[in-house]
Amino acid sequence: MDLLPPAATALPASRLPPPARHQPLRQVLREAPHTLHPTLWLGHQLGRQADTTCASGFAALDAQLPGGGWPRRALSELLLRQSGIGEIRLLSPCLTAIQRSGRLVMLFDPPATLSAWALAQLGFEVEQLLIINTRTKALPSGDSLWALEQALKSGHVGAVLAWLPPRLRAERLRRIQLAAHAHDGPAFVLREMAAAERPTAAPLRLALRPAGADALGVRLLKRRGPPLETALRLALPPVLSSPVREHARASVDQRAATPLHGATFINLAGLL
Amino acid sequence: MLWVAVHLPLLSLESFAATLPAAAANQPLALMDAHRIVNANAAAQLLGVKPGLKRATALALAPHLTLAQADARRDEEALNAVVHTSLAFTPSVTIQPVNDAVGAEQTSPDTVLLEVQASLRYFGGLQSLLLRLQRALAPLGHRLHLANAPTALGAALLARVHRRFDAADLAVTQRALDAAPAWLLGSARAHWEALQGMGLRTLADLRCLPRSGVARRFSAALLDELDRAYGNAPDPRVSIVLPPVFDSRLELFARADTTEQVLHGAGLLLDRLIAWLTAQHAFVRRFTLVMQHEPRWRRDAQTPGETPLELALAEPSRERAHLLGLLRERLARFELPAPTLELRLHADDIAKRAPPNTELFPTARSEREGLLRLIERLQARLGHERVQCLAAVDDHRPELATVARAADAQAVCRAQAVAASRPAQAGPAAVDYDNAEPAPGVKVRPVWLFNEGEPLQERDAKPLLEGQPLDLLSGPERIESGWWDMRLVERDYFIAQLPDGALVWIYRTRQLASNPRPGWFLQGRFG
Repeated sequence: MDLLPPAATALPASRLPPPARHQPLRQVLREAPHTLHPTLWLGHQLGRQADTTCASGFAALDAQLPGGGWPRRALSELLLRQSGIGEIRLLSPCLTAIQRSGRLVMLFDPPATLSAWALAQLGFEVEQLLIINTRTKALPSGDSLWALEQALKSGHVGAVLAWLPPRLRAERLRRIQLAAHAHDGPAFVLREMAAAERPTAAPLRLALRPAGADALGVRLLKRRGPPLETALRLALPPVLSSPVREHARASVDQRAATPLHGATFINLAGLL
Repeated sequence: MLWVAVHLPLLSLESFAATLPAAAANQPLALMDAHRIVNANAAAQLLGVKPGLKRATALALAPHLTLAQADARRDEEALNAVVHTSLAFTPSVTIQPVNDAVGAEQTSPDTVLLEVQASLRYFGGLQSLLLRLQRALAPLGHRLHLANAPTALGAALLARVHRRFDAADLAVTQRALDAAPAWLLGSARAHWEALQGMGLRTLADLRCLPRSGVARRFSAALLDELDRAYGNAPDPRVSIVLPPVFDSRLELFARADTTEQVLHGAGLLLDRLIAWLTAQHAFVRRFTLVMQHEPRWRRDAQTPGETPLELALAEPSRERAHLLGLLRERLARFELPAPTLELRLHADDIAKRAPPNTELFPTARSEREGLLRLIERLQARLGHERVQCLAAVDDHRPELATVARAADAQAVCRAQAVAASRPAQAGPAAVDYDNAEPAPGVKVRPVWLFNEGEPLQERDAKPLLEGQPLDLLSGPERIESGWWDMRLVERDYFIAQLPDGALVWIYRTRQLASNPRPGWFLQGRFG
């Protein structure tokens, strides 16, 4: 009666929290049930990962992600309205670190041509990236999901970055999430913003939108933990020099600061 | 000397059943020769079809009978597969020849003889060798009779009678041969009626007769066979030499219109290829499956007479599951130009090297092999040009500065191995980019490029993207290049900002007379 359930005692001692062996089980369940196993968490806490996570390179984002980084063996879903707002710069610290540790990074169906010079400037080893194009000219084929599943199930790939076809069915994404359990590394899937209205099998979901020059607004729509109401504003590896960047941000703020009031007269003749 | 005889009693039926689709193998089957049934499988015999019946009689007894012509070449190819599998166990393998005799029901050889005395120690005894032989022959799907004896002919004869016979020594063999029927000897079949009339049923009866009388009355060949079987005369055999190139044909019973039907026949050819490879301890690097098309089924004269499908492996292999999987992926994507009836598998590019080591825990080597298999599988299904690697080219023109090439699986995995052997490095450091500057002296380029610049509309001399005005932030960067290959570009590049803050890379073609399309264009987005 005083013993913890057998499953908990089977864990290696280094993984267990400070032992609650001397307290009766009922008391542990009432006071601190999250100490029974490393992957349990309470509703108001940020979830912990049993596996290590991959640091994202942005301190503000790491503080809000469960486990302190991108999760391994699970999908991380990024929703964008338009590609080309800074998503590669957001993922580049994590992906370049994986390349440096000697594992392969694969890209599936990128929406446009990649520039090798730009990738080299971000720190990638361009010769070591593998790009799989499964789209034929007419339609996105069913091969894109097959190829992604094969790469995840093999377990030899370091990181995967996939642009999924639009209006993907939920059970197909669930199947890819199950395949990701065999994949020791982060798996990023990028989808259209309209998918935010439908539930997802991925444990982490972020919505990205541009927030000024060289800055990205990140909203955490789903994570293992309490929802985050405010959006994060991350500064990306810069493309512009500082004075230009300040000027650009100032002009964006100015435009954002002048909303349309109730009865404003717009001279249509001036627009034509 | 210890001879093992492998006898295939149903060789003709099984080689015919292999050409049918998998579901039809349990149906009544019969083989014909000159309008008479020569062979029928168990299902047909249950319905009453027996060798010797006429074709019409057989069809009346069993309307759903599948009939085909007995084909000696087809049987020979099937037997060759057994020979090649046996060559992995011993170099002295030979086929028991058929003795020509009137009225013999066997027309093609169906017994393979192996001399295994020298291999016993390596395989750990006769029983374990026989077990491994049976396991190796199992994928070919034949019914086997195994017998071993000190004499070659003795083992061959006993294999026809007993399903499994183990002889400890010559005396046991001779006693077993004594009980064997006399028609086993090829030369005795011609005199079978005479022998029956004399009451000579078994080999023991033949041996009891005076030798000179037997030689005079029947033939000297009969005596010679008896002596060889009982070990009283030497019986030298010539071993079969493995052909240097693998080339095997299979004629399908029903014409194949889709590639799934081809896969079944191709699987059998792959089994034969693997047997040939195992015999010489080698691995195949590439092979070609050729599908023949009959002229009458071709749609027009332009359709070729045969369609080759070549499969090249990144790493030499002889695993059945691996090769069959690759072939299945290729055939699933392949469209047959015309129906095919005959398949041919050709392989001459082999490699002799040590097989891959299967380890319990993942090591760098096994991870590299796993990665190689994955890239190979993707290339087999999607096509070589869909799996690409990027390379940077020294060209100022942005659309030509990156080239995407079909990936070389070996090179990728080799570079991975090199990268993995470097000392482990720490994860990405958290950098505050708010005050960071781009690297000085380096031209910034966007990650996403459009090969053809998208034309942008203009309003008030400001470019518009999707109806939103663009703010020019940085520029102009003038790129003028490419006069040598007729693709001259003369552009001024700017970094511009959309109202929501995203950055794009646009250019304006210079107002020159030689320029056909002046205006603003979108070249890329900073991803």
